[in-house]
Amino acid sequence: MTAIFRTTGLTKVYGGLTAVSNVDLELARSDLVGLIGPNGAGKTTCFNLITGADAPTSGRIVFRDEDVTGVRDFQMARRGVARTFQNIRLWRQMNVLDNVRTVCRVEERYGFAASVLRLPRFGRGERAITGKATHLLQRLGLGDVLGENATDLPYGDQRKLEIARALALDPELLLLDEPAAGMNPTEKTQLMDTIRQLRDEFGLTILLIDHDMKFVMGICERIYVLDHGERIAHGTPDEIRRDPKVIEAYLGGDS
Amino acid sequence: MSGELLWWLNLLVAVGMYTLLAVSLNLINGYAAMFHLGHHGFWALGAYAAAWLTIHWQGSMPGPLLYAVSLLFAMLVAAVGGLAIGVPCLRLRGDYLAIATLGFGEIVRIAIQNSPPDALGGSLGLFIPRVLMKVTRDTKDDFRLLTLAIVAFLCVVVILAFRNFIRSAPGRRLLAVAQDETAAGLLGINPTNSKVLAFVMGSAVAGLAGGVYAHYEGKITPLDFNFMEMVKMFLVIVLGGMGSLSGCVIGAFLVIGTERMLTRAPGFISDWWQVEFPLVLALMIVFRPQGLLGRREVIDLFRRRRAPA
Repeated sequence: MTAIFRTTGLTKVYGGLTAVSNVDLELARSDLVGLIGPNGAGKTTCFNLITGADAPTSGRIVFRDEDVTGVRDFQMARRGVARTFQNIRLWRQMNVLDNVRTVCRVEERYGFAASVLRLPRFGRGERAITGKATHLLQRLGLGDVLGENATDLPYGDQRKLEIARALALDPELLLLDEPAAGMNPTEKTQLMDTIRQLRDEFGLTILLIDHDMKFVMGICERIYVLDHGERIAHGTPDEIRRDPKVIEAYLGGDS
Repeated sequence: MSGELLWWLNLLVAVGMYTLLAVSLNLINGYAAMFHLGHHGFWALGAYAAAWLTIHWQGSMPGPLLYAVSLLFAMLVAAVGGLAIGVPCLRLRGDYLAIATLGFGEIVRIAIQNSPPDALGGSLGLFIPRVLMKVTRDTKDDFRLLTLAIVAFLCVVVILAFRNFIRSAPGRRLLAVAQDETAAGLLGINPTNSKVLAFVMGSAVAGLAGGVYAHYEGKITPLDFNFMEMVKMFLVIVLGGMGSLSGCVIGAFLVIGTERMLTRAPGFISDWWQVEFPLVLALMIVFRPQGLLGRREVIDLFRRRRAPA
């Protein structure tokens, strides 16, 4: 198995607090891997380091055989690392379609002059962008609400919209931060199917964070467990379920 | 031409100029959500650039051509100023950005005021030769009418250009950065690029307004570009609606119209205009804080429930 993505010794220190300590992660192409741990274990910090939102204190990040440690967020996104957010971060004053169109990258690019002067290139580019965005939104079942204000959608649909928006980047690595939060059990089951299908359809490699163990165990092929910023376990859902260290981290042991 | 008509003509030219200033300020403060308080500095840069070029190049080309060239030069100088100020300042946010840009606006004015008189006229200002057309006693009104036509044309061009920009991929990226910069960055948008572009576009158009102003007045002094002017521009966009281009036209009418009506009103009304003017505006802010149009455009008012309020 060749890794498409790997971190070695990933560490982030904020003042006196070590949020992430020496974490090694490895993902092969089309992996579907979970990242779990109690509150404050450093999961979202890991995502921030991987996506370039924050620079690691030490350690290396390798994506597609390239050292991308310290590469800035928008450059990571353009290289094919996309994410959704734990606390939904849609652009509130845009409608559903525009939330996705803003991110869409298409071959028919046009610049400032073409926009202002409405050159033919603008028309071609906009058609391509709108076509791609509409296709993605339909794929996620949001084809009927293109004109709605993004934040008027039900919570679950907002999460789907965030996924559609991330897919507009044509990512290879997709990071989902609590995609099932706030969904009911039926929606969660549907989301599991959707995520698996999207992975196959778009050739994605997925790393996801969630607190719902049933959801994570049900969908992930492998799981990494963090506690106090350290990686304490790694394995298949069955192995993780039985791992005494994991049980202790979640339930608290008397040490 | 009668005095009454003249008054209206002057008012309309001023409204046009403030529309240009407000539209460009709105791109930065309304659409890009940057708290920028130095727009009068870019206005001054444009006015002085146009004046300087006209004085030094006078006679080297036909008058109307020089007029046009000086306006382009004004835009260029103000845009370069915008770039020079924008790049270091745009790391700042909110109040801090406001303080930095306000400082810039005042520095421009004070620097010109203290410049050697033979360069930029110092505190005495500069006289700008009439190049657009020959202005005599008889043709004064034609000159005013022609300027009004030019200003109106520029307003239409600038508003259309900005509208086209906002409804395009680079414009959407700017709105995304304004609404949630973190999300924009993580979704492949370079926030600095978007902000600098908005800042440069805005300052260029403020420079254009400066050029028009210099040619219309025929004389400019540093005091023309004081902070009160910045306040007026800000009021125009607050009144018209932050994030509404056509709202700027209405706002400019209201602010400049109210100011001039009050100053020429009889007796105590004009004596107290500096009290009444802010009072009108304060009431406006209390009862309609989003401005007259909010984020809508005039055209949306005639469509049936399409634009979200």
